[in-house]
Amino acid sequence: MDKKKILICDDDEGIIDVLEMIMEEVGHEVMSVNDSLKVQEVIDKVQPDLLILDLWMPRLSGQDVLRQLRSHPQHDKLPVIVISASRDGEQIATAAGADQFIAKPFDLGNIVESVDALLN
Amino acid sequence: MDTAKNRDFDLSANAGASNIQLMTMALDASNSGVIITDHTQPDNPIIYCNKAFENITGYSRKDIIGHNCRFLQAQDRNQKEREILAHCIAEGEECRVEIRNYKKNGDLFWNELYMAPVKNEAGEVTHFIGIQNDVTWRKNAEHDLRQQKTVMEKKIRERTMALKDSEAFLSSIIETVREGLLVLDPDFNVLSANYHFLRTFKVSLEETVGRQLYDLGNHQWDIPKLRDLLIKILPTNNPVVDFEVEHDFPHIGRKLMLLNAYRVEFEGQFKDQILLAIEDITERREVENRKDDFLSIASHELRTPLTTIKGYVQLLERAMPENASQKFLSTFGKVSVYVERLNALIGELLDVSRIQSGNMELHMARFDFDAMIAEAVDGMRATVPTHNILLKGQTGASVVADESHIAQVVTNLLSNAIKYAPDSKQIEVNIANVSEYVKVSVKDFGLGMSQEDRKKVFERFYRGVEIQKKFPGMGIGLYICDQIIKNHNGTLWVESEIGKGSVFSFTLPKAGKEQHG
Repeated sequence: MDKKKILICDDDEGIIDVLEMIMEEVGHEVMSVNDSLKVQEVIDKVQPDLLILDLWMPRLSGQDVLRQLRSHPQHDKLPVIVISASRDGEQIATAAGADQFIAKPFDLGNIVESVDALLN
Repeated sequence: MDTAKNRDFDLSANAGASNIQLMTMALDASNSGVIITDHTQPDNPIIYCNKAFENITGYSRKDIIGHNCRFLQAQDRNQKEREILAHCIAEGEECRVEIRNYKKNGDLFWNELYMAPVKNEAGEVTHFIGIQNDVTWRKNAEHDLRQQKTVMEKKIRERTMALKDSEAFLSSIIETVREGLLVLDPDFNVLSANYHFLRTFKVSLEETVGRQLYDLGNHQWDIPKLRDLLIKILPTNNPVVDFEVEHDFPHIGRKLMLLNAYRVEFEGQFKDQILLAIEDITERREVENRKDDFLSIASHELRTPLTTIKGYVQLLERAMPENASQKFLSTFGKVSVYVERLNALIGELLDVSRIQSGNMELHMARFDFDAMIAEAVDGMRATVPTHNILLKGQTGASVVADESHIAQVVTNLLSNAIKYAPDSKQIEVNIANVSEYVKVSVKDFGLGMSQEDRKKVFERFYRGVEIQKKFPGMGIGLYICDQIIKNHNGTLWVESEIGKGSVFSFTLPKAGKEQHG
């Protein structure tokens, strides 16, 4: 498998740590942002191949981040996996333009499979 | 008989006997009673009366000839009409009175009496002529009419008082209700505003009544959505109920309001006036949102560290060295189980909270029912390889429901079946179409339950006999399942016998709930 750039955006440090560890384990390059206000900037700078995005974040929600991305001509095709603990997360994520939704608490196997599927 | 040829009547002594006879006949043919009294004799005796007089009074001529007519008044001598008559007689004037008279048999009749003097050439009164008419019926009618009039006037007074009472009462109601009420004329000028309106929107009666609605309080009521309601919607859609309007008022801030509007349709002085009821739901909506927020925050906050724990455990499992001991492996397995249990518990707690606060939201969508069942069964087969789950039947149905909630119900029934049949390893799932519903039955051959347990098993926090705590649950699983099915307008029930096992079944309308909520 090619080494790809995975960007993780979640306000919880623990979740970022877990996702970083698993993504590195399967061989990808991983970056993380825990302030949603900064994610647009980081995406522009880093040009990730895939974004794992939390919905529930203070100040700027994952939903709004995603909408902004999708209206940006450069990033509207960026593969995005949305993760969330809320039951209507799937609805919100799909409506905002997510490619995949995974509920928290997630199974690491699922994460790996979804990332794989979207990158190929 | 010269005068026989002459058509003029002549009462002189030369008049022909036939003329007198004709006149007598005429008098006798009259309907009115006629009497003549001789004023030259003492006490004015009657010297002539006609047939009609006899008929009217019941007296015959021989009874009354020579009498004064006062006998007609019988004992009823105190009528003031007598004074009028006495005056006329004394003055030699004519008069007309209505006087009470009595027939020979004692019956009362009303006599319209016309009396006129007859004077000689010297101008002295010699006779009086009295013309009588029985006007009893007319007098009675007049009396009845007067009585009716009195009754009517009393009724009107009573009705007017009752109306005033009603108006006062109505006014009190309007001033006491906890909603703003406005009455507008067809041109949207304010005819009246109740106390609650004035208080909520901090305006006075003087600056409200008589003004155009949109001009009130410096145009603060010039709201486009309100205009839509009054001009576009109300004319054709009467009444309008639960119309939501949100507006930022200059001095009182943002308000969310529910409006009811009614244009008076019944005929009368109030026709085409518009009644506007305004309920301020700003705070209520905020509280509802806050409740929702709390539940959502609770869910998120609880699940986040759990996600991290699960992640670390899985990472550890993946990082397990080749020669790890059995103890290592099995311990990790157990941690995973308890992580899942905690997750399920959080889910159940939130479900129960939502149900209790009336916030159970169902996301209705169409899905393949058989596929959902198959997935739930497969999931359970993977979790519990020790049991044999047999799936029978098919519906081929495309159902409108909240798929994840229904799957939750099926999974819960399956895990219960396994829990209460630890020794018998067979579980049967049957699915079928029943009229406009789909039906699912989960049958186990395990312990069964008593009649008492059967009755209470869907209650919150009810636990029957517990054997294995392999699966999570606080006794609210079936309660939640029952609520989910009920919210879909289906039914959930159990048939069971001790020692023989249980069958949990539910029905689900294929077309979804007919109404919301």
